[in-house]
Amino acid sequence: MSGAPGALRVLGDDKVVAFAPSADAVHPDSESPQRVRIIDGTLACLARHGTAKTTVDDIARQSGVSRATVYRAFPGGRDEILGAVVDTEVARLFSALGVCLGSAEELSQALVAGIVEASVRLRDHTALHFLVEHEPGIILGHLAFADSDRLLAIASRFTAPFLARWMAPAEAARVAEWAARIVLSYAVSPSPRTDLCDPAQATRLVHTFMLPGIEALQAAAAGPIDITPHRPGLGRSPN
Amino acid sequence: MDDVRQRIIEASYVCVARRGVAKTTVEDMAREAGMSRATIYRAFPGGRDEVINATVAWATLDFFGKLYERIQGSGDFEEMMERGIMFAHQSIIEHDVLQRVMETEPDKLLPILTVESNRIREGIAAVLAPYLTERGLAPGVDPDDAADFLARMVLSYISAPGRWDLEDPEQVARLVRSELLAGVVVPARPR
Repeated sequence: MSGAPGALRVLGDDKVVAFAPSADAVHPDSESPQRVRIIDGTLACLARHGTAKTTVDDIARQSGVSRATVYRAFPGGRDEILGAVVDTEVARLFSALGVCLGSAEELSQALVAGIVEASVRLRDHTALHFLVEHEPGIILGHLAFADSDRLLAIASRFTAPFLARWMAPAEAARVAEWAARIVLSYAVSPSPRTDLCDPAQATRLVHTFMLPGIEALQAAAAGPIDITPHRPGLGRSPN
Repeated sequence: MDDVRQRIIEASYVCVARRGVAKTTVEDMAREAGMSRATIYRAFPGGRDEVINATVAWATLDFFGKLYERIQGSGDFEEMMERGIMFAHQSIIEHDVLQRVMETEPDKLLPILTVESNRIREGIAAVLAPYLTERGLAPGVDPDDAADFLARMVLSYISAPGRWDLEDPEQVARLVRSELLAGVVVPARPR
């Protein structure tokens, strides 16, 4: 069952409850219908009021179940529910990504479809949107430094096998991480010039920047790094 | 930046290093700076938060000054990127105050950093743009798109290295020549 306590972290003295997706959060089907109902009810509450104003009573009411039912499904209470919400939403995202990555017929199609799908889901996620607008501390706490690393690792672990249809597993892992970086960067701070929710613009980015980069990664894996005419070669100190 | 503001900022930095952001008050800053609270509020009408923001801005500028020094004397554009990334990564992991605040109270710092990061990204893009043009853009690549993309990627790698070991010069060289520059600039030598 997802929603394990390991997904949660309490920050500092403010008793702000934050949650990091656990590395095993890719099994949406492991949730019972009761838990799913409560999780979806919680998402609806979060989209309207954020975490600060979402109590177990609100969750119960929104989910159409009793408080007792909520606590039976989530003995850890609100904290456990919020952790499960994160795990479930992450799992849903990667499930959707799996569908479009799996049905792609060539690499650039897979990259474009995956990037667009992820970008659209992030943009349209109402609960995420509320939190970003009104409780940025919670979200931002997980978008920088070590937590970004964790997010990238999860994304890479999940999507790399799909990309391995077209390249060696080691390269697939790097490219999967790179695609996740790109999605994250443009989702967190949008650029007026590049909207990755638009397939045409995502295609332009993939073709311009990613495909040559992938070629270079594969070439580097195959042999020594290309050296330019004006560099004496490898093995010199970085100074 | 005038002397009074600078002294307050440096005092604020010492306080944050000692006790973190949340526990640093204007009183602490005043005591550390050897000034009255009134002086602090005169220099920073926005109070404690304004001082904290200014301290972050100052620390950031200070870092970029050192970064700029580090990349001087680079042989070519690729080397400049390599030096910059390695230096930036090293600075971040060795920055005790930053690491402690990020660990204990990230929600205090990150909203500031996020606002700053847009400005930082634009700043990096602006610095890179002329070097990119000089190096030679790949055909059909828009210079502003390229600079923006590069700036985003640089910030991403130095804040979250992922699979890359940014202390290994060979890996950094490979990173620069693939995920950063491969589609952006003309190849280093003809195919």
